[in-house]
Amino acid sequence: MTRVVAISAGLSDASSTTLLAERFGEAVRRAEPGASFEVVSLRDLAHDITDATIVGFASPRLQHVIDQVAAADALVVVTPTYKASYPGLFKSFVDALDADLLIGKPVVLGATGGTARHSLVIDHALRPLFAYLQAMVVPTGVFASPHDWGGEGTSALDERVGRAVGELLSLLGGAGTGRTRDDGIDLFSETMLSISDPQL
Amino acid sequence: MSSMQFGIFTVGDVTQDPTDGTTPTENARIKALVEIAKKTEEVGLDVFASGQQHNPPFVTTSPTTLMAYMAAQTERIVFSTAIAQITTNDPVRLAEDYAVLQHLSDGRVDLMLGRGNSAPVYSWFGQDPTRAVELTVENYQLLRRLWDEDVVDWEGRFRTPLRGFTATPRPLDGVPPMVWHASIRTPEVAELAAYYGDGYFANNIFWPKEHYIRLIDFYRQRYAHYGHGSPEQAVVGLGGQFFIRPNSQDAVREFRPYFDNAPVYGHGPSLEDFSAQTPLTVGSPQEFVEKTLTFADFFGDYQRQLFLVDHAGLPTKIVLEQLDLLGEVLPTLRAEFDARRPATVPDAPTHAARVAAKQAAADAEAEVVTA
Repeated sequence: MTRVVAISAGLSDASSTTLLAERFGEAVRRAEPGASFEVVSLRDLAHDITDATIVGFASPRLQHVIDQVAAADALVVVTPTYKASYPGLFKSFVDALDADLLIGKPVVLGATGGTARHSLVIDHALRPLFAYLQAMVVPTGVFASPHDWGGEGTSALDERVGRAVGELLSLLGGAGTGRTRDDGIDLFSETMLSISDPQL
Repeated sequence: MSSMQFGIFTVGDVTQDPTDGTTPTENARIKALVEIAKKTEEVGLDVFASGQQHNPPFVTTSPTTLMAYMAAQTERIVFSTAIAQITTNDPVRLAEDYAVLQHLSDGRVDLMLGRGNSAPVYSWFGQDPTRAVELTVENYQLLRRLWDEDVVDWEGRFRTPLRGFTATPRPLDGVPPMVWHASIRTPEVAELAAYYGDGYFANNIFWPKEHYIRLIDFYRQRYAHYGHGSPEQAVVGLGGQFFIRPNSQDAVREFRPYFDNAPVYGHGPSLEDFSAQTPLTVGSPQEFVEKTLTFADFFGDYQRQLFLVDHAGLPTKIVLEQLDLLGEVLPTLRAEFDARRPATVPDAPTHAARVAAKQAAADAEAEVVTA
């Protein structure tokens, strides 16, 4: 069964970011009825995330979410736009992940903002971050401004979400970098070998 | 001496007492360390270990000076670094300094090696922080030879070559100080300890036990791989920290301001959360004993337990009281650990035992030759 986990960095109570995450959920279920879709709200982990930045390890609650992320076949990442970028809490969450946790992981990026003028936040802020993490980010990102939730042309949002989810699920068939995280200990690195044979 | 050693380790930080805003002078802090070392012996503990740091707020830049002074005022406890930097110290100086200290203290010195606490320290001592692991390996390989071989020819990447060099004084009784390697994230350090059959120490203070279990298990496996014994016979040391009062609530109330403002974890998680998630115990002596005993469940039976006691701005008077309380539960700790420990697990290494083992090995070899 395909397991998709959505990380929502929406911070307000009735969050349009979480709303966008749910649109992704519907698209995933439509494309693959057997798939599981879980939404993780970072707001509920705000204290745990801050503590992790200070002590350098995750609380059991935060670790549970990190394990969920690690076990996911694909990730949906949605965040509001704060001061032309993602909120600090979102970055602090990413900071709490091992640097190699998302290597080769299929990811779709989404963002919300108070105005369509922020729509490049996905490509200017989120994409470079996930490039550093070596995730497999699909080409289509989905930005939703207030106008996308009502009025004329709102079906365009669902079309974009559907296209992004199609790209995401297409990566699960075995395409991708072929690389995943490897947290085993390498006994054959140059330094490791030099321990038992100083002449190397 | 029981089969397991207990002691304390300090990083020698000068930290403001958050309850009254006072900060000890460097002079007062250094003198306090000496009082703490003497108290360590007085209450029946086995080991006093000091860090080596080269930046404020620490005063422990010169561990051999400090520990030679302490050794002169004590008779029984073993001194150790926790840690001495194998990266920034010239291995020749390490071989010489700790051999002199070993002679002066009549074999009461161990050397615990680690990489150091900050990136700039490498640059201050002319080393490259990005080569820390290679530097650790090469420097230790040289140190080992300087102690194990009387005359050394050596050439490496990080230090000027040596021809016909003899590190003096030669180790006491031909047995160099016991070496421990400390690391909490570098498998190469665990491998180094395993290859040489040295001890391995995990500070076990700041993180959940899972972080330490992985490398200790790896060290035990590799110790066996290199033929020093079974994984259970590898020589393991652990850190820990506590604050105890006869009444559990008193301990929590008194320690909370120190916890909340502590340099490493202060202003982060609550004392309750941190205690639940890490080896820290704040409570009654009984609670402390119970939690400490679980360490052997997680890491296997081990040889040395060191506690961090003087930190977070705790006044020396309270630190000394904590050592008295530790001394009171020490017989229980020893008895409980000994009761659960299989006979196949070796005792904590001492100079006398290691000299005897060397003599026994030499006798056995002589017997083979005569036969």
